[in-house]
Amino acid sequence: MNEDDNKNIILEEYENEFSYKKSKSNLNIQFNRVAFIFFIFFIISLIYSIQLLHLGSLKKNIKEKIQVSNTKNYRADIIDTNGNYLVKTIRTIDIGINPLQVIDKKHLSLMLNYIFPKKMKEIQKRLNSNKFFYLEKNINQSKYEEVMLLGDKSISSNESLIRLYPQKNLFSHIIGQIDDDNNGISGIEKSFDKELKKISEPLQLTVDTDIQFLIRKELLRYQEIFRSKGSAAILMNVNNGAILSMVSLPDFNLNKRETITDVNYINRVTKGTYELGSVFKTFTIASGINEGLIEPDTEFLDLKKTISCGKNHHIGEYDDKMPSELTVEQILIKSGNIGSVKIARKIGIEKHKSFLKSIGILDKIDFDIEEVGKPQSIDWHEGCKLETISFGHGITTTILQLAKGYSIITNGGYYIKPTLIKKNLNKNYKRKKILKNDVSKKMNHILRKIVSTKEGTAREGNVKGYQVGGKTGTAEQVTNKEYSNTKINTFASIFPMENPKYAFIVMLESPKTNSEYIYHYRDGSPPLKGTPFNTAGWTSVEVAGKIIEKIGPILATKYIEN
Amino acid sequence: MKKTLLVLSIFVLILITSLVKNSTKNIEDEIFLVKENIRLLRAELGDVLLEYNYLSSPEKLIQYQSQYFENDLIQMDITNIKKITEINDKLIITNFIKKLENNE
Repeated sequence: MNEDDNKNIILEEYENEFSYKKSKSNLNIQFNRVAFIFFIFFIISLIYSIQLLHLGSLKKNIKEKIQVSNTKNYRADIIDTNGNYLVKTIRTIDIGINPLQVIDKKHLSLMLNYIFPKKMKEIQKRLNSNKFFYLEKNINQSKYEEVMLLGDKSISSNESLIRLYPQKNLFSHIIGQIDDDNNGISGIEKSFDKELKKISEPLQLTVDTDIQFLIRKELLRYQEIFRSKGSAAILMNVNNGAILSMVSLPDFNLNKRETITDVNYINRVTKGTYELGSVFKTFTIASGINEGLIEPDTEFLDLKKTISCGKNHHIGEYDDKMPSELTVEQILIKSGNIGSVKIARKIGIEKHKSFLKSIGILDKIDFDIEEVGKPQSIDWHEGCKLETISFGHGITTTILQLAKGYSIITNGGYYIKPTLIKKNLNKNYKRKKILKNDVSKKMNHILRKIVSTKEGTAREGNVKGYQVGGKTGTAEQVTNKEYSNTKINTFASIFPMENPKYAFIVMLESPKTNSEYIYHYRDGSPPLKGTPFNTAGWTSVEVAGKIIEKIGPILATKYIEN
Repeated sequence: MKKTLLVLSIFVLILITSLVKNSTKNIEDEIFLVKENIRLLRAELGDVLLEYNYLSSPEKLIQYQSQYFENDLIQMDITNIKKITEINDKLIITNFIKKLENNE
C-alpha cells in the first residue's frame, strides 16, 4: 500500500511540473512576442494612415489657401474664337523703400544714384519724408537685380499684375475693365471675375478679331460721314446664338485705364434701349403667320391713309403714296403702318404680347455681361398701344434682343440664347422649336424681297452673292419723354436667305444727311450725290451693305460648314 | 520555420516599401522639374504669341498693306471663287456660291 502511494505521488508531481504547466507557459511567451510585433506594426501603420488621411484632407485646404493668396496676382487670359489674345496678364514687380528702415541714407542714395540717375532728386526728397514710396513700378529685370543686390533691408519688392489689351479699343465694351485690386468692374472682366481668377486655361470667346476690326473700321468711317452721335453693330450666328462681333461707338482704349463717366460711352448693343420703329413690323407679321391668321398673300383692302385709335391718337403712313390695297407681303416690303395696325388688331393683345415675349423682346435679357438694358414696361391696355407697337413705336428694346428676335424668326423658329462664351456652344444641345414650321420659310421670302426688289426699302444692302434679306427701321428719338427730330436708323439683316446663318444689325443714333457722299447703286444705276432722306434705307442700309461686302468673304470661306 | 518566414516577409516588405518610396521620390523630383520647365516654356510661348498677335493684328496688317503692297492685293468677287473637291481621284471644280445663285 505504501509503495503504491509513493508511486502515485511521483506521477502527480511529474504531470504538474512538466507535461502541463511548463509547456503552456512556453507557448504563451512565443505567441505574445509575435502578437506584440504585429501590434507595434499595426499601431505604426495606423498612425501613418491617420497622418496620410489628415494630410489628404489638409491638402484641399492648403490648395484653397494658396488659391486665395494667389488670386491677387492671378487672372486668366482671354482669347478670341481663333485663339488670338484679347487680354494677356503680365506679371510685374514694383520696388519700394521704407525710409524708416534705412540705416545709412547717404550711402543708399549714393548707390541708387548709379541705378536711377534721372530720378535722384525725387528719391532724395522722398527718403527724407519718412513715408513708404515706390522707387519704380513695373521695373525691368536688370534694374531689379541691381537694386536687390544692394541688400538694403528697407527695399522691398511687390509682385503685381498688368492686363495688356493688344487689340486696344476693339473689344472695349465686351471685355470691360478691372480695378487696381484685380477685381472686374465691367464687361466680361466683371461677370466672369471669379472664374478668371480660378481657371488655368484662357477664357475663349466667340468673337472674331478680324471681323470685329472690319466692322468697327466701316462703322467709324460712316460715323464721320453721317455725323452720328453713336453707332452699333452686332453679328450673330442665327443657329446657335454665337456672337461673332459686337461693336458700340464711341469706344475707348482699355490700355489707358481711364474712368469712363460719359454716358455716350454706354454699350449701345446691350445697354441702350431704343424705339426702333419699322423693324418691329417683321414681328407683327411673323406673329400673325404663327397664329395662322394671315398668309403672305392675304389681302387687305381699303387701307386708309390715317386711322384713329384711343381718344385723340391718329396713325398715318410715312409715305403718302402708299396704295390702299396691299397683301401682307407688300405691307412689309413697302413698310406700311396702317396695314401693320390692321394685322395687329387681328392678332389681339394677348397673342401678340405672348409672341414678343417668346422671342425675347419684352423682358431684360439674360446675357454674359452685366451691362444689359431693361426694355420699358408696357401697359398694353393704355390708349392704342397694340396699334403703335405693331409698327415699332411705344416699345423699346436693345439691339441684342432685336438680333435674337430676328434669328428666331429666320432660323426655323428655334429658340436661341445669344452668347459671347465659346464653351456655352454645345453642339449636342437639342434646340427647342417655339414657332410653327412654315413661319421662317414665309418670312425669309418676304425679307429677301425687301432687299432685292425695287419696291423694297433696303436695296443698297443687296450685296452680290450673299443673298441679304432684312428690314429697315427709322424712328424718331425720344428725348425728355417727347419725340425729337433726331433719328434712330436701324437695318436688321439676315444672310444668306436660302439657309440663314447670320443676323447682322446696324444702328446709327442721330445720323445726319451728307450732301457730299456719293451713292453707287448696286443695280448699276447712275451714282447719286448727297443723302436724299435721313432714313435707314439711305444710311444704315448703306453702312450694312459696305460691311457685308468686306466681311462676307471671311464668313463664306472661314466659317463654311462641311 | 513559420516565425522566420513571417519575420523575413515583414523585413522584405519594409525593404520594398523604402525602395518604392525612394524611386517615387526620384520620379516626383523629375515631374517637378518637367512641370517647372513646362511652366517656363508656357510663359515664353504666351509672350511670343502675344507678340505675334500684335504684329499680325488686322490693324498692323492694314498698315503693312498700305506700306508695302497696296497695289498687289485686290478684292475678289465671291462669285468668281471656285471650289475644288476630290472625288475618286477626280478633281471637280464648282462655283463657291453656285447653290445660292441658282436659287435667286
